[in-house]
Amino acid sequence: MVDLLFYVAAAVSVLCALGVVVSANPVQSVMMLLGSFTGIALIYLLAGFQFLAAIQILVYGGAIMVLFLFVVMLLNQGDPVALAREQGVLHKEQLAGGLAVAGSALAVLLVAVARTDLPRPIFGYLWPEGGLDPLLGMAQAMFGPYVLAFEGASVLLLATAVGVMTLAKRQRNKPVAAASTSEEASA
Amino acid sequence: MSFESLQDLYLGAGPALAPLLWLTGGLLAVLIAEITPGLTRLRPAVVPAALLGAAWSAGQLIAEPSGLVLGGTFMGDSQTGAFTLIFLGATLLAWGQARHYYGQEEPFLGEHDALLITAPIGMILMAGAQDLIVFFIGLELLSIPLYCLAAFRRTRDDSVEAGLRYFILGAFGVTLFLMGAGLVYTTAGTLNIEGLGDALVALTTPLGSVGMALILASLLFKAGVAPFHLWVPDVYQGSPTPITTLMATGTKAAAFAFLLRLAPILPSEAGLPLGIIGVATLALGNLGALVQTDLKRLLAWSGIAHAGLLLLVISAAVSAAGTNQQAEILNAATSALLLYLLAYAFAAGGALGLVAWMEADGEDHTQLSRWQGLGSVRPGVAAGMTLFLLSLGGIPATGGFLGKWLAFSTAVRADMLPLAVLGALTSVIALGYYLRVIITMWMKPRPESWAIPSMNRPLAAFLAGFCAAMVLALGLIPGFVLGPLF
Repeated sequence: MVDLLFYVAAAVSVLCALGVVVSANPVQSVMMLLGSFTGIALIYLLAGFQFLAAIQILVYGGAIMVLFLFVVMLLNQGDPVALAREQGVLHKEQLAGGLAVAGSALAVLLVAVARTDLPRPIFGYLWPEGGLDPLLGMAQAMFGPYVLAFEGASVLLLATAVGVMTLAKRQRNKPVAAASTSEEASA
Repeated sequence: MSFESLQDLYLGAGPALAPLLWLTGGLLAVLIAEITPGLTRLRPAVVPAALLGAAWSAGQLIAEPSGLVLGGTFMGDSQTGAFTLIFLGATLLAWGQARHYYGQEEPFLGEHDALLITAPIGMILMAGAQDLIVFFIGLELLSIPLYCLAAFRRTRDDSVEAGLRYFILGAFGVTLFLMGAGLVYTTAGTLNIEGLGDALVALTTPLGSVGMALILASLLFKAGVAPFHLWVPDVYQGSPTPITTLMATGTKAAAFAFLLRLAPILPSEAGLPLGIIGVATLALGNLGALVQTDLKRLLAWSGIAHAGLLLLVISAAVSAAGTNQQAEILNAATSALLLYLLAYAFAAGGALGLVAWMEADGEDHTQLSRWQGLGSVRPGVAAGMTLFLLSLGGIPATGGFLGKWLAFSTAVRADMLPLAVLGALTSVIALGYYLRVIITMWMKPRPESWAIPSMNRPLAAFLAGFCAAMVLALGLIPGFVLGPLF
C-alpha cells in the first residue's frame, strides 16, 4: 500500500514537472508546478518527514505559488503574438541536443543506481513517534552546527532583494539622484 | 542542547566568524546609509572601512587559528584567513575601480556597493566550509550578487546579456552541485567534509562517484575550467569592468579554495584526469586568447588558462592522497595556490583597473587597437599595463613568476613531470598575446587625430600604482611581503 502510494506520488511529481516545461500557457505551468509540489510533499510524508511535508504544502504550495501566479498575471500572459514568438524560440536541433544530454545523464544515473548497493528504504515502519523531523531536533540543528548556513541564508535573501530592486528599477527620482551624484563627486 | 552549550558554540566561533560579521555589518550599514538622508554622504566610507575591519580580523585569524568551529561546519584556520585576505583585496580593488567607472548608473552606486560587499561573504564561506550545506550557501551568496552586478549597466545590451548568460549557466552549475550533494548524501550519509573523508568507500561506489563528479563539475564551472569555460569570455567582456575584476580574481580564488579542501578526500585515481583537464584548459585558454582583439576578452581567455594551471596544482594534491608525502604535497599546493592567486589578483586586477580607467574616456577603449601608441602619450599607463601583462605571463622579477614556479614544482614533486612539462610549454604561448599588447602600446604609432585620454582620476592612479608595487614586491622581495602571513 505504502509502496503503491510512493509510486503514484513519484509519477505525479515527475509528470507534472514535465508539464511545467512543456505547456505553452504560463498559468497551466504554474498549476502543474503545484501538482509537482504536492507529489513531493506526499513523498516526504511517506518517508517520515511530517514537518517538511506540511511546510512544503504551506510555503511552496501556498505562498510561493501565489507569488508565481502574481508574476504571471503581471506579465502579458496569453498574448497570442508573444506566445507564437516564444514557441519559435527553440529549434528542433536544439531540442534534440538537449534531450540527448538529458537522456544520457539519466542513463548514467540509472546505471549508477543499479550498480550501487543501497539500503532499501522501508516506508512507514521505522519512524519514531512524531516522524523523523521533530521540531526540537530541527531547531537544534538550525541554531547549533548549521547556524552559519541559516544566518547566511538570511543575508542571501537580503542581497537578493537588493539585487532584484536594482535590476527592476529604471531610474531614481531626482532629489536622491542629485544627492548621490554630488556625493560621488566629493568622494 | 542547553542555552549554555549554544553560548559556548557561538562564542568559540567568534574569531573565525569575525570577518563575516564585519562584512555583514558593512552590508547593513550601506543599506541604512542609503535610506537615511543625513547619512548618505557617509556611504563611500562604509565599504572600505568594513573591508579593512574584516582584513584586520582575518589577520588575527592567521596569527591565532581557531580550528574547526560550529560543530565542525566551518574551518577557522590560517588557510581560510589567507584566502579571506585575497577576497577582500579583490573586493577593495573592484570597489575602487567602480568609483569612477559608471556614468548614468551612478545613482545606483548604493545598491552596487551593497551587492559588492555581499560577494566576499560568500567567498569566505566557500573557503572555510567544512560542510556542503555551508558551502552551498556561500556559493549562492557569491553568485547572486554577481549575477545582478554583471547586468548592472542596464542600458547596455552586452551587460544585460552577460548578466542573463551568467545567471542561467550559473543556476545550471548550482543545480549540478545540489544533485551531486544529494547523491553523496545518499551513499555516504553525511555532508561533512571530515565525515566524507572517513566514508571514502561509499564515495567510490558508482553512485557516490557520480555525486562527487557533479560537485567537481560545478566547482570547475565557477572556476572557468574547460569544458565549462564557454561563459567566461562573454560574461567577462559584457560585465562592468570592476565586476570583471571581482569575478576574475575573487570567484576563481573561492572555487579553488574549496577544491583545496576537497582534494584530500578525493580518491588518488582522480588526480591524473584532473591534471589532464588542467593542462588541456591551459592550452585552450592560451590558444583562445591569441586571436582576441578586445582586451577584456583577451584577459578572460588568459584567465581560463590560469584556472587550468591552478587545477594542475589541485590535481597534484589529489594524486598524492594516500601516499606518505600527502601532507607535504598538500602544504606545497596550498602555498602555491595562495601565492599564485595573490599575484594573479594584483596583476589581473591591475590590468583590468587600467582598462576601467581608460574606459572612463570612451567605451571603445577596451579594444586593443585603441591602445596603439599609448606609450608615447601616457607612458605611465602603458608601463603599468606592461608590468601586469609580464606578471601574468610569468616573467622573472614579477609576482607571476614565483606563482608559476611554485605551481610547476608542486606538480613535479607529485610525480606529474610529463604534465608539468606540457603545461610549461603551453604557457609559453601566452607570451605571444601578452607581447602583442605590449608591442601595440609601445611600437605602433598613435594616429594624430586621436585625443589623448585625460585620465585625471587620483583613486584609479593610486590603485594601479599599488597593484604595480605589489606585483614587483611579490617578485623581488616575496619573503618581506609574505613573511607575516605564512
